[in-house]
Amino acid sequence: MRILLIEDDSLIGDGIKTGLENFGFAVDWFKDGNEGHESLLQAQYDAVILDLGLPGRDGLSILKDWRNRGKTEPVLILTARGDVDERIAGLNSGADDYLGKPFSLKEVQARLNALIRRKSGVVAPEINYKGVTFNPQTRKTFYQGKEITLSPKETALLELLLFNRNKVLSKEMIENKIYAWDDEVSSNAVEVHIHHLRKKLHKDIVKTINKIGYIMED
Amino acid sequence: MKKLNLRVRLLIFLILISAAVFITAGVLSWKEAREKVDEFFDTYQIALARRLSTTDWSNITHEMQKISDKLVDDIHNAEDEDESIGFAVFNNEGERIFHDGENGRYFPPFGRKGSFGTERIDDEKWRVIRLMSTDNRFIVAVGQELDYRNEIVEDMFEEFMTPWAIGWGVMLLAIILMLTKEFAPLNRLARQLKQRKGDDLSPLDETDIPGEVKPLTSAVNYLLNQTQEMLQREKSFIADSAHELRSPLTALKVQLEVAQMSADNPKNLNNALDKLALGINRAERLVEQLLAFSRIEAGFENLPGESSLIDWQQIATQIAEDYTPAAQAKNINLVLDIAGKAPFEQGNPIWAALMLKNMVDNAIKYSPEKATVSISIKYNKIKVCNSNTVVEEDKLKHLGQRFYRPAGQKTTGSGLGISIIMKIAALYRCRVAFANTDEGFCVSIIPLKD
Repeated sequence: MRILLIEDDSLIGDGIKTGLENFGFAVDWFKDGNEGHESLLQAQYDAVILDLGLPGRDGLSILKDWRNRGKTEPVLILTARGDVDERIAGLNSGADDYLGKPFSLKEVQARLNALIRRKSGVVAPEINYKGVTFNPQTRKTFYQGKEITLSPKETALLELLLFNRNKVLSKEMIENKIYAWDDEVSSNAVEVHIHHLRKKLHKDIVKTINKIGYIMED
Repeated sequence: MKKLNLRVRLLIFLILISAAVFITAGVLSWKEAREKVDEFFDTYQIALARRLSTTDWSNITHEMQKISDKLVDDIHNAEDEDESIGFAVFNNEGERIFHDGENGRYFPPFGRKGSFGTERIDDEKWRVIRLMSTDNRFIVAVGQELDYRNEIVEDMFEEFMTPWAIGWGVMLLAIILMLTKEFAPLNRLARQLKQRKGDDLSPLDETDIPGEVKPLTSAVNYLLNQTQEMLQREKSFIADSAHELRSPLTALKVQLEVAQMSADNPKNLNNALDKLALGINRAERLVEQLLAFSRIEAGFENLPGESSLIDWQQIATQIAEDYTPAAQAKNINLVLDIAGKAPFEQGNPIWAALMLKNMVDNAIKYSPEKATVSISIKYNKIKVCNSNTVVEEDKLKHLGQRFYRPAGQKTTGSGLGISIIMKIAALYRCRVAFANTDEGFCVSIIPLKD
C-alpha cells in the first residue's frame, strides 16, 4: 500500500515514514504543502496522511482542491488542536478520518487500514483466500492455520493482490504500490517477490498473465 | 466572642438608650406631678382650714350637724361626691362639735398644730392640718386621704405617659423597619456572595447599595475583575501551552515507537534514538521558555523585586561566548558592539540577560549560513541584527504573538522568544521594534518615551 504523507514537522514526519514502512507501507513524505498537493495528482496512492498546519499551502485548501478535482483517495488528517471545530472543518472539506496529536503509530496504522479497507469494499478485518488468511492490522499471514513469515515487501505484495482480486495487476503498477519514490527498486524485484510468495504459500496462489501482469482469481 | 451583626447591635443600642430616656422622663414627670398635686391640695386644705378657723363655732349644735348632713345628702347632681377630704372642729376639751359628715368624724382631736402632718386614721394615711380658731377656743382639722392624692398623680402620670409610650413603640418599630430596609441590600449582597460558585467572578450588583458601602463593593468588584483577567490569562496560557506541547510530544511518541520496533534494524534504531534526543531537546527548550514566560507574566503583577545596576558589557560578552559554538556551526560571524548607553540601566540582571539571550538565539537560529549577527548596545538602544535575512511584511505583524511560528520552520522553536523579549522590555518601559534594514533583519529595544 502506498501512502502519501504531508507533514512539515521533521521529527513527526520521519517517525511516521519509518514506522509505516516497518508496517509494510510504502510512504512518500513531503514537508511542503504545494509539493504534496502536486504529488497526489501525479501518482497513485492508497491513502493520504495530511497535516493541517503546513507551509506553502494550508492542509484544508489542499484537501478541498483534491476533492474538487475528483480525487477520491482516503485522507486521514492530523490536527494539533483538540478543537472540535477544526475536526469538523476537516471532515467537511472531504477528510475521511482525523487523528489528534499526540497519537501513536499503531493508531495511524489502524486508521489507515480501516480507510483502505473501506475504500476497497472489504469489511472483515481478515482476508481469506484459498487457505491463506491475512490480517492487514497485525500484518500476519497464515496458510492452512500455520503462520508464515513474509518480508514486509512480500506482505505488501500479498495485501495488494488480495485487495485487488480478479484484477490483473501490471508489474509497473505493483512497483508503484509497494515502493516509495525514494526506494531503490531492482528490475526483477516484483518477480522475486512473486516467486517467494508461491514458495512460502502455494504455487497456484498467484496466476501469471503473460506480458500483462499477475492476478488472484476466485 | 461572636460579634453580633451591625443591625442587631444598632437595635439593642437604640432600645437601651430610648428606654433610659423614657424612664428618666417618666421618673421626672412623676415627681413633678406629685409636687403639683401636693401643692394644689395643700393650698386647698389651707384655704378651707383658714375659712373654718375664722368661723364662729360658739353656737353650733348637734342639730345643725344633722341638718348640714341632710343638705349634703340631698345634693344629687354632684359630679364627684368624694369622701377623701374631710374636716372636723373640736373645742379645747377635745370634743368634736362639727365635721363634714363623712371622714371628719374619725379625726382625732389632738395632734400637731400649725403644719401638715401624716396621720393614720381608720387604717388609711391622711395628710392633716390643724389650726386654732381665731378666737382661740376651737381647733380646726382639715385632712385628705393620701391614696386619693396618689390616685390623682397616677391618673395624671398615666395620661401624660401613654402617648409617649405609644410614640416610643412606634419609633422603635419604625427604626427596626428602617434598619431592616437599609440593611436589605447588604444582606442580599452577602447572600449573593455566599451562593456564588467558585469560578463565578462576575461583578457584584451595585444597585441600591448604600453610599457608605459602595467603596467596599467597588473595591471587591475591582479585585474580582483583576482576578478574572489573571485567570483568563492563565487559562489561555495553559491552553496554548498544552497545544504547543502536543507536537513535540507526538514526535517523541512516534520516534519511541519506531525505536521499539527497530530492535533488529540498527540503522533505524540509531536514527530513531538520534531523533528522540533531538525531540527531547526541543521539548526541554519549549518547557524552559514556557516557564520563563509564565514567570515574566507573573512579574507583571508585582514588578521585579530585585533591581540593581545592569552590567550590559558583561551580559552581552557572556551570551556571545555561550553562542559561539552555535554560530560557528553555521559559519556565522558574531559581532559585539557595546559602546554606550542601554535603554534601561537599572533592573533585574537575570531578566535583562534572558531578553538579550532570546534576541541572539533567534538571530542565530533564523540566519542563513555565513551570515553576520551583530549585537549592539548604544544610543539608548539594544539592537540585534542578522544579515541576509528578510522577514516578509505580512509576517512582521504576527511577531510577538505568543506561540506564533511561521509555518515550515526548519529550526526548532517555541514561538515564545519574541513574546518573552517584548514582555521584559515592557517591564522596563521599553518597546520592541522590528525592521528589515541594510544590516539585515533587526530587532531593537527602545525606551517608550523615545
